[in-house]
This record gives sequence, C-alpha cells and structure tokens, in this order.
Amino acid sequence: MNALWRFLTSLKTCAWAGVAFCVAGAVGSVVMGRYPELFADMDAQVFAGWFARKGFADPAPTSWLYGLLLATALFAVNAACCTAERLVQIFRGKVTMRLLLPHVMHIAFLGVVLSHLVSAVYGDRIPGVAIPQGGFAIVGGTGWAMRLDRFDAVMAPEGYPKDFSATVTLFRDTTPVARGVVRTNAPLFHEGYGIYIKKFGTTPWGAPYVVFDANRDPGATAILAASLLFTAANLLYLLPARRNDA
Amino acid sequence: MEGAHLTLFWLALVAYGVEAGFRLAGVASASMWRSPLFAGVLLHAAFLGMRWGLSGHAPMAGLFESLTVFSFCSAVGGLILCGSEETEAAWKPLSILVLLPQAGAALIGKRMTPLYPALDTPWFASHVGLSFLGYGFFTAGLALGIAYLRGEEDAVYRAAGKSALFGFSAFSGGMVCGGIWAYYAWGSYWIWTPKEIWSVIVWVYFAALTHLKFIPAHAGWPGWTKRLEMGATAAGYGVVLLTFLGVSLLLRSSHSF
Repeated sequence: MNALWRFLTSLKTCAWAGVAFCVAGAVGSVVMGRYPELFADMDAQVFAGWFARKGFADPAPTSWLYGLLLATALFAVNAACCTAERLVQIFRGKVTMRLLLPHVMHIAFLGVVLSHLVSAVYGDRIPGVAIPQGGFAIVGGTGWAMRLDRFDAVMAPEGYPKDFSATVTLFRDTTPVARGVVRTNAPLFHEGYGIYIKKFGTTPWGAPYVVFDANRDPGATAILAASLLFTAANLLYLLPARRNDA
Repeated sequence: MEGAHLTLFWLALVAYGVEAGFRLAGVASASMWRSPLFAGVLLHAAFLGMRWGLSGHAPMAGLFESLTVFSFCSAVGGLILCGSEETEAAWKPLSILVLLPQAGAALIGKRMTPLYPALDTPWFASHVGLSFLGYGFFTAGLALGIAYLRGEEDAVYRAAGKSALFGFSAFSGGMVCGGIWAYYAWGSYWIWTPKEIWSVIVWVYFAALTHLKFIPAHAGWPGWTKRLEMGATAAGYGVVLLTFLGVSLLLRSSHSF
C-alpha cells in the first residue's frame, strides 16, 4: 500500500505520465490522418458516445486514445495525491501563499479534467441543422423546431465574407421559446445549448440557407472557472519566483 | 506606408543578422541594450505595430506573419531571460534562433490579407500572441539549455528554469484564451485535430518539465540530474517547432497555413 502511495505521489510518475501522454498524442495526430473515415466524425458527437462506438469496435487504430486517456488519468491522480499529501504537510507547518499556489494549480487542473469528463459524457452535439430562409427544421432531440427568419451576409468587394448573421426563432410545439441573432463569434444560447452558424449558401431556387450546429457542454462553465483559477494562481506564482530568483 | 513598414522588417532582419554574425565571430556587445539584437527588436516592434495599423488586425495570420512574430517573441524572450552577463553564453545560439524564422519569413509573400470573420476578435490576438510569447520563452530555453550543457553555470540553469516556467505560463494563458474563443466561434472549447493535440502535448511536456527540478538527483536511469533537465528544456524547442510548423504544414488541421 505504501509503495502504491509512493508511486502515486511521485514526481517521477508525473514525468513518465507526461512522456506517455506526449508519445500517445504524437502517434494519434498521425494516425488520425491515416484513418479519416474513422476519426472524421469525432467532433460531431460527444467523446464518450464516439469512443463507445468506435473505440471498442476498432481498437487498433484507436489504441493511442487508450494511452492518452490512461496518461491523463495518471497525471490527474498523481496531481490529486501529491496535493493531498503536501497540503497535510503545509498545514502542519507555516502556511505561505508560495507553498499553496502550486496546489491551487493542481486543483484547478483537476477541475478542468473532471469538468471535461462531464462534458464528454453528458454533453450533446447536433450537427448540420440546415434551414432555408423562412423555413423550419427540427433541432435533434431537444424538442425544438428552429425557424430561420432572416440571413444577412456582408461581402467584401473581393468576394470574401466580412460578417454574417442569422435571426432565428426556437419553437416548442407551436410556441416560440427563444428568438435571437446568431453571428460570428456570438452564438445564441438557450437552455444550455449554443446555436452556431456552421456554413451558409444559396439554394438552387435562390433563397439563402444556413447550416447550424447546436452544442451543449455542461462542463464548460466549470472549465472556464477552473482555467481562470489556474491562470490566476500561475500569475501569482511568477511574482515571488521573480523576486526570489527561484 | 506599406513599403515603409516592410523596410522596418528588412532592417530588423539585418540587425538580427549582424548580431548573429558578431556572435559567430566572437564579437560581444558592451551590453544587451547596445546590441544589434536590441535594435532589431525595436525595429521589429515598429514593423509589427505599423502592420497591425495598416491591416486592421493583429499581424499573426498566415505563415509570413507567424514566422516574423515567432522571431520577435524569441528575441523578447531572450532579452528578458538572457540579458545578464552571467547568461551571455546563451547569446550565440539565441541570435541564430532569432534570425532563422525572420530569414524564413523574408522568403515568403508579405501581402496583407483580410481576416476570416471568426478571426476578427480580440481572442485571436490574445490566443495567438500569448502562445507565441510562450514559444519565445521556450526558444530562449533552447539557447540556455545549450549554454548550460556546455558550461554548467548556475545562473544559466536558473534562467533556463525560468524559460520553462514563463513559457508554460504564457502558453497556458494562450490555451485558455483559445478555448474561450473556440467555444464562442465554433461551438466547443476543444476539437480533435492534430494542432489541438500537439498544443496539449506542448503544455503537458512543459508542465512535466517544470516538475523535474524537484526530483532529487540520483544515478539511476535516466539519471535525474540538472543535465537531464537542461537537455529536456532544450529538446522542448523541438516539440514547439513540431507543433508550430510541423503540424501546420504537414498534417491537416484547423490551424493550417
């Protein structure tokens, strides 16, 4: 038991988990290009759903993902055990901000990993909701119908789009429940879903159409909070590091 | 104005070339603030500022702008970490590492191109700018790592440790900004592309590296020594280069040039 605890709290475990992550990720970045038919729809659904379908059905080309997940898990457990052990030691002695900050960063890192796990399991992806202007489409399993009220694109004289926006209304049964404008870098949020413009064009009969994605990431807010906590602790850690020349 | 700003680009290249030439010839400047490299950084900053004003967006889009910003951030990282006399041994490799991307940029078309609407946001400058600042510190880490492996001086070791810590901090900030931006622009803070995976590889690599100095030295394999740590600091530049150029040029990615 002691040996296991020493392994889980060891800095060498951190180093080797880092090496394993880097190797698995590097292999994966190449394998993804070799098997586009396998990985092309990876972002079109939440990770847990994709992995359950493809990871187990075709384990050879997805083996790097097993490595990546195991290395991430080991990295996270190592950070958690290290912090648990060190916090006990710190609070038995003189507590300083300098001693605590690395463990605030560990906790924030764990927050990001766990929140991402929540998104990867309980999130939702509804890609490719295509609607011509004035038309309706069902938005996945949300129970909504979405109407594209109006689409505007501002084109530069050279022909590239400078800005585009879509005014949409969401209905549940026949009752409008939300109306808003979706534009570049500004999705419409409703009941945890973000609605995004994926692409746009013109139908054969000349009406503009827009293809939307509707995504839900229940861990996103927690990830943002944990990331900001990590950044704040990181910045504070730099200040004494500069003073002490550490 | 468009011609004038490119003149500044060429002058910065010449200054970096003079610095590298002097260093290779064994000629050292009286101080960092009187060096051709410092003059190059000032000219380079003026070039980037003018280009930002002329194009209306942060000059970090496309291969030319990426390379020249990489060179600029490498010079800034070097000035911050290698500015003292004690770290002078790092200046020779640093001057070459600053010169090479700027020289590479000189060979590429320099036309200003409009930004795709999703890139026209302050998140673009903050995400890319902080990432390149991190790359700049990691570049200084390579120069310092080489200097340590040749001379084993404590001041160089401390500066190299800072390169990993500062670079990691800037790069982490860039990743946070990128995640926020991606969430608003594309519907998810994370997508599975080689560039995103390699960005996390860089983050994990330097996260692990910042922990190495706390492992007590002992003789067992792989030899947890300062030399191993400095070797890993230097090798980190390879990981950065693969992420920045290798993935963008060789693999299909959301960040391809």
